[in-house]
Amino acid sequence: MAVDLSMPVLVVDDYKTMIRIIRNLLKQLGFENVEDAADGQEALEKMKNADQKFGLVISDWNMEPMTGYELLREVRADDGLKATPFIMVTAESKTENVVAAKRAGVNNYIVKPFNAATLKSKIAAVIGDF
Amino acid sequence: MGANDAALRVKEAISHLKSQNVKDRQLVDVLELSGVLTDAMGHFFSALDETIKDEFVDIAGFIKKARNEIGDLRPKDIKTNRIPSAGEELEAIVADTEIATDKIMQTAEDVLAMDPDSTEDFGMQIQDKMLVIIEACSFQDLTGQRVSKVVNTLKQIEDRISRFAEVMGVDEDEVEITPEEQRRRDLLLNGPAIGGPETAQDDIDAMFAEGPAGQDDIDALFDGDDAEGEEVSQDDIDALFD
Repeated sequence: MAVDLSMPVLVVDDYKTMIRIIRNLLKQLGFENVEDAADGQEALEKMKNADQKFGLVISDWNMEPMTGYELLREVRADDGLKATPFIMVTAESKTENVVAAKRAGVNNYIVKPFNAATLKSKIAAVIGDF
Repeated sequence: MGANDAALRVKEAISHLKSQNVKDRQLVDVLELSGVLTDAMGHFFSALDETIKDEFVDIAGFIKKARNEIGDLRPKDIKTNRIPSAGEELEAIVADTEIATDKIMQTAEDVLAMDPDSTEDFGMQIQDKMLVIIEACSFQDLTGQRVSKVVNTLKQIEDRISRFAEVMGVDEDEVEITPEEQRRRDLLLNGPAIGGPETAQDDIDAMFAEGPAGQDDIDALFDGDDAEGEEVSQDDIDALFD
């Protein structure tokens, strides 16, 4: 089944420039409905209050007050949100970070800096080809 | 009154009582015993006084030394000049970088939004936009110089603090972990690695490949300098692939 490119995607990063980069890349990939949040707390609130469930979350790790890692654990612990595909896009590249994220239920992991092709392939791996 | 003086006064009082020609045998025994005790206490307190005195002399010396070393640190200079100056440089770096990034991003977005078929002089406009991007990249020269100034300041502060810690015999193992540091450790907030990612994207991809990852893939993650495996046991890894 083809991916619905109109599904809402949530980009979580405390750097506006990074949000803008990912927004542009997603736009180029055809995603039309992109929202953003500046940290895990804001993202969690948006996810809980969203009229339409987010079809994908792309989150940074290192943010305050709530990190992307904490957001991931909150999402996976919430019955209503636990099935949301979640990709971590971060400069945290230690093996312990990748292992911890995988254990917490992340669907894929991209280390910064990354390119459009990497983002596309990871999104496809998580939600299917588009 | 010092302990030694007190013992001397007690001894004088006992001698005075003895000189009163006391007849009561028991009282004489008590006086004799008190004399012995007073002598013993006198020696004890005398030694104690010397020990305490030596301790205070040592503490005074240490405080004097610490004061001199703190003076050498020039904390006022660090607080009023060097740290604020470095902070201003870093803020300028963030601002310069943000302005340049915004200009580059905006120009790229303008190019992406242009329709080659309906845009007059499309080729010329693309060239103009590329020049804007190239000009915006000149921020790197300024930020490079600012970073050098901050690095120099940090080195000077590092030198002074290192010397201070060495002279004062600071044992880092005794330093308590702050709540901020504990949070950083708990949430694995390591920040970007120097010289590129510590774990390559290909190695990460191997972990997320369909089906169980091969042992070679797992081993590759923990090989070489990239590995930070001390905190991850084989059980942890096995649990990932159960």
